[in-house]
Amino acid sequence: MIDIFKNFVNAISSPVVIFSAATAVFALFVTFPRQATSKPVSLAVLIGALAFFGLGLTDKHFRSIVFMPDNVPIVGLIFIFGYFTWYAMRKAVINDMRVERGEPTVEQTETNEKVLVFPYLIFIEFVTALAYAVILVLWSIFLKAPLEEPANPTVSPNPSKAPWYFLGLQEMLVYFDPWIAGVLLPTLIILGLCAIPYIDRDPSGSGYYSFKGRKAVIVTYLFGFWILWTLLVIMGTFLRGPNWNFFGPFEAWDAHKVVPLLNVNLSELIFIKWLGIGLPKQWFIREAPGILLTALYLAVPPLILARTKLKEVYKKLGPARYQIMVFLLLMMLSLPIKMYLRWAFNLKYIVAIPEFFFNI
Amino acid sequence: MAKPTPTLYSIAKTFMWFAIISLLLLGSLVAIVLMDHSREWKVWQKKFVAIKTERAKKELAEAEAKVDKKQLATLAERLKQTQMERKSQRAEMAKTRKELEALEVRFAQAKTHYQDQKQFQDSYRYYFEEYSTHHDPRAKEFQKKFQTISPKVAAAKKEQDDAEKLRDEKAAQLEDFSAKEKEVKKEIEKLLAEKRLVQGKLDRVKPTLAKDILNAPMLDFLKPSLQVQQIVLEDLYDDYHFAKTQKVDRCTTCHQGIDQKGFEDMPQPFRTHPDLDLYLGSQSPHPVEKFGCTVCHSGSGHSVSFTDAAHTPSGPEEARQWKKKYGWHDLEKWEQKMLPLEHAQASCAKCHNDVVEVPQADHLNEGRRLAAKFGCFNCHKINGFEERWKVGPDLTHLSGKVDEDWITRWLHDPKAFRPSTQMPQIFHLSNHQDAADRERDNAAIAAITAYLVKNSEPITLMAAPIPGNPEEGEKLVKSLGCLGCHSVGDAKGDSFGPELSNLGSKVGADWLFTWIKDPKHYSSHTRMPNLRLSDPEAAHITAYLLSQRNESFEKTSIPEVMPEVVDSLILESFQGAMRAQEARAKLDQMNADERLEFLGKKSIAHQGCFTCHAIKGFEDQKPIGADLSNEGRKDIHQLDFGFVPIEHSREAFIEQKLKDPRIFDRGKIRSYYEKLRMPQFNFTDAEIESLTTFVLSLTEEQVPLQMRKRLDLKEERVEEGRLLVAQFNCNGCHTFDGKNGTLRELTEDPGAAPPVLDGEGAKVQEKWLHEFLRQPTVIRPWLTYRMPTFGLNEKDTQALVEYFANLSHEEASYKGHPVPETTPEKLAAGQTIFNQFQCVKCHQLDASSAAMGASFLAPDLSLTKKRLKPNWVKAWIQNPEALQAGTMMPSFFVDGQTPLTEILGGDAQAQIEAIRDYLYHENGVAKA
Repeated sequence: MIDIFKNFVNAISSPVVIFSAATAVFALFVTFPRQATSKPVSLAVLIGALAFFGLGLTDKHFRSIVFMPDNVPIVGLIFIFGYFTWYAMRKAVINDMRVERGEPTVEQTETNEKVLVFPYLIFIEFVTALAYAVILVLWSIFLKAPLEEPANPTVSPNPSKAPWYFLGLQEMLVYFDPWIAGVLLPTLIILGLCAIPYIDRDPSGSGYYSFKGRKAVIVTYLFGFWILWTLLVIMGTFLRGPNWNFFGPFEAWDAHKVVPLLNVNLSELIFIKWLGIGLPKQWFIREAPGILLTALYLAVPPLILARTKLKEVYKKLGPARYQIMVFLLLMMLSLPIKMYLRWAFNLKYIVAIPEFFFNI
Repeated sequence: MAKPTPTLYSIAKTFMWFAIISLLLLGSLVAIVLMDHSREWKVWQKKFVAIKTERAKKELAEAEAKVDKKQLATLAERLKQTQMERKSQRAEMAKTRKELEALEVRFAQAKTHYQDQKQFQDSYRYYFEEYSTHHDPRAKEFQKKFQTISPKVAAAKKEQDDAEKLRDEKAAQLEDFSAKEKEVKKEIEKLLAEKRLVQGKLDRVKPTLAKDILNAPMLDFLKPSLQVQQIVLEDLYDDYHFAKTQKVDRCTTCHQGIDQKGFEDMPQPFRTHPDLDLYLGSQSPHPVEKFGCTVCHSGSGHSVSFTDAAHTPSGPEEARQWKKKYGWHDLEKWEQKMLPLEHAQASCAKCHNDVVEVPQADHLNEGRRLAAKFGCFNCHKINGFEERWKVGPDLTHLSGKVDEDWITRWLHDPKAFRPSTQMPQIFHLSNHQDAADRERDNAAIAAITAYLVKNSEPITLMAAPIPGNPEEGEKLVKSLGCLGCHSVGDAKGDSFGPELSNLGSKVGADWLFTWIKDPKHYSSHTRMPNLRLSDPEAAHITAYLLSQRNESFEKTSIPEVMPEVVDSLILESFQGAMRAQEARAKLDQMNADERLEFLGKKSIAHQGCFTCHAIKGFEDQKPIGADLSNEGRKDIHQLDFGFVPIEHSREAFIEQKLKDPRIFDRGKIRSYYEKLRMPQFNFTDAEIESLTTFVLSLTEEQVPLQMRKRLDLKEERVEEGRLLVAQFNCNGCHTFDGKNGTLRELTEDPGAAPPVLDGEGAKVQEKWLHEFLRQPTVIRPWLTYRMPTFGLNEKDTQALVEYFANLSHEEASYKGHPVPETTPEKLAAGQTIFNQFQCVKCHQLDASSAAMGASFLAPDLSLTKKRLKPNWVKAWIQNPEALQAGTMMPSFFVDGQTPLTEILGGDAQAQIEAIRDYLYHENGVAKA
């Protein structure tokens, strides 16, 4: 029975399934926040997650990966991130209901009960700090830092993994050229996060948990955080094994696993497969479709959206901020788009110019 | 400001949490201390303390039992008496003591006074000297002062001495009262000395409260009795990939009895090292403080826990026990795991690398010997073993020796012809078991045969002039010395050369006759020597050797070869080098014979036949085996275990590889030419173990020069010779250098056996030995065995001469050894003694008169002048037994005394010299 379950999980484990399923779950979560954060559903999810881990621990491979001292924090991370997302959403749902009923929000009712930071908050923080100290001490006692073999510069470990907080970036390397996954996208993430307060200056809904009034903004942020970052970290930690091959959670990490790699560039798709005329010699002709497509992707949607769906937003933000916002959003969306292009068409690069190491 | 409601903020609740968490924090601190304090090694050290205490207690009981109780009682009685005596003199003693006290005071005063005066005197002297040098007028003043004080100092000194003397006398007087008592006490102490010694030992080792406190948590930084023991090794390093760190071995933290005698029967980790004379002992060649442990045993010397030290079990059974007992697990991340005990000798080669045999490392030596014998060095490049000979016969003139069918049958299954053959099985092995591969093997064999026959150069063979007599031949084979290298039929000889059975099914009469007459004629590089056979002898031996046949081998059918299989193999061999159409075109250009020959060449190159055999067309080909120079340190991830479910360790891999070289192909889909190709040698388990030790010993690890065994010039020459001795199998006949000659062992009558060569370098002259090795002559005419002509080149001959000389600690000199000066009287005396001792009785010139049996026969003395060294002759006459144990040469000069008192005044030395001089004299022996 358990074996059937394990085999099933292993069989459906692939980046496309997990990514799509996670996106679907995310969509459900933000579409039906009230039901999703209701007690029976959240309890069921919690029990389901615990049961999955509990069952999983009976498996040798799952255990060895989950209990690897490096990976234990990621297990904690799943539950802690989940809890805080649930907590915020639940509060937001309650507040939204109250607002609907014309009542003040929870936070507004609490404003009368304000106390001073010192000593009240500081005291609680102090106790919490002590609690963290205890946890760290016990953690270090029971989960020893692994001492590995002396470093050998001639042998790279397999899999070679970045620190856990960079595993999302490393996962992006599967789909993007290093300069995009390792330089451009991280830079844009940081700049984008910095830009949020300048783009979104709408004070409505601030000061209390709310969802309804800021749905688009919150969904965008949570999608970026959960699906494009945390999920990739989790996949990179638990499901990427030797040679960065993808392994099911109950699959042995075999360093000799061979997976076919059939990726092709857009230019090859167009000129060889579709047109059947062979690759043009000059790179600018060869890559013209890709360059054109990229340019269209960055130029057309903002123009159309400004006149249609985001008309109001465009009015509110003005051209410069609007342009920046849409550019950042498009860059964010480029990751799932590229992922699906890869899964659907084995597309390697949209623009591939090895002549000067420029690949998109 | 409003008061917070309990739902949002409760001080009581916060305090409660504060209390709980503080307690938890305290608990975690205690846990840290305890965790830090409780160490695996402490448990072992405590156990060892218990063992040592137990032992000391036992020793104490023994020492106590040894004490003479009666004597002790008498002494106690006497002590009591003397004490009583002393007590009776109490009043007198008190008086003396008081007087002594007064005298003490007087002495102290006198001493102080003297010292004060002396200070002044010294000061005055200084000022006087200083001022007078500078012509200061004050000099006078100080001179006067000095003069005044000097008598006072003298007087004070006298007073001090007087007081001292009086005090000492009084003290002695006081002592006298208790002198007797002290004497008795001393005697008692003497009686109890051993017990006290053991008691002291016990006190040192046994656990005490003070020690417990010093070992307690938080206090154990002060001076704990339980602590990590470590040996810091000055000249040895751990190689952490481009970074070397000084070796530190902490093994003795638990292995506490390892370098102490007396713990041989203790369970591990306390057991004494099994060979303290060779290792660890301060007098041994490998003292522990210089070599430590891990340089030989490997493992992680820094670690002090059973698992982290990378202990390696000897087998799965021990691994299971360890898991149960110690929670042991394989230390996956540590490369240098401890060598299993049976392979520990692999480490010897790190420092003892330039020697043919490492002293006392029988396992490793056996592995090296086997590797040389089976031609491992031919296929595999291994640093330090490059200059090795091809172990297989020369195939340049093959068709003169054997026919096509024999070659084909032989390649199919060499062991079917001769079970003891060294030739490994190459085809039809475990990874070639399906029908298609069998077909391919058949084709490859046929092709190799075709190539070898076609590329065989013609050779002239001689025919025996007379028909041989097999019985005569059998006698000759047994008496000439063939058994020094070969076994023939039922006659078991040395296994160095191939067993000479069933040759009738293999070679022709002309070839064999020609071969034994002059092996170098057929193969210029053969190690087979020339026994200088006469034509009839050679004919007899040929007849005998050809009389045995292996009929079942002759009857084995030769499988049909399908031309399309040949074609497909040729096409496959072109893969990667050219396109299919080109390959096809190239194939089409060849006719059937050419195809077979082409495939033969390809197969020989692929299987590496040419590495062991000289084959035309492969003169400059590189060997095909993997470089094994660093195999003992090879990264385990680089070893392809395939799908074979064995432990992933180097030794398991090597053992498995030697057991079935093709096994790692199991479960893999591979094309014919991709498959593993190491042949099957059918090694025994013991051989596999030795070879594994040898392979594990192959490492490029650099031990600092000063820690390695470095050979001096003499030793280098000896080693050079040893390699030649191994190459030409001198020990097949002769006993020397610690090895028994096989033929000598086989011969019942030691007098008829090939001579022992121990001390040969001291015995014979280098010039003679050189000549003899190139062109042996008869020394012992009664011996049927013949010293063969090896056809040594000049370099090898000189190396052997140097070898024998250096082995006997002699300087090799081709200048000759001058005949000592002598006088006619001495010569005459020599002759007299020579006759009186009846030397010629044994040292016969005519072998046919040997009626007494070979044991009593001795070498031809007319060779003495040319052959022997004068010093040796003297030493030999003086005491033959000392130079060669068990010799039949009688000792005439027992204990340096001569039985002939009237010659040369009965001077034994002069007589010995006289005999020697007589032997070296121009016509000495000839006259006799």
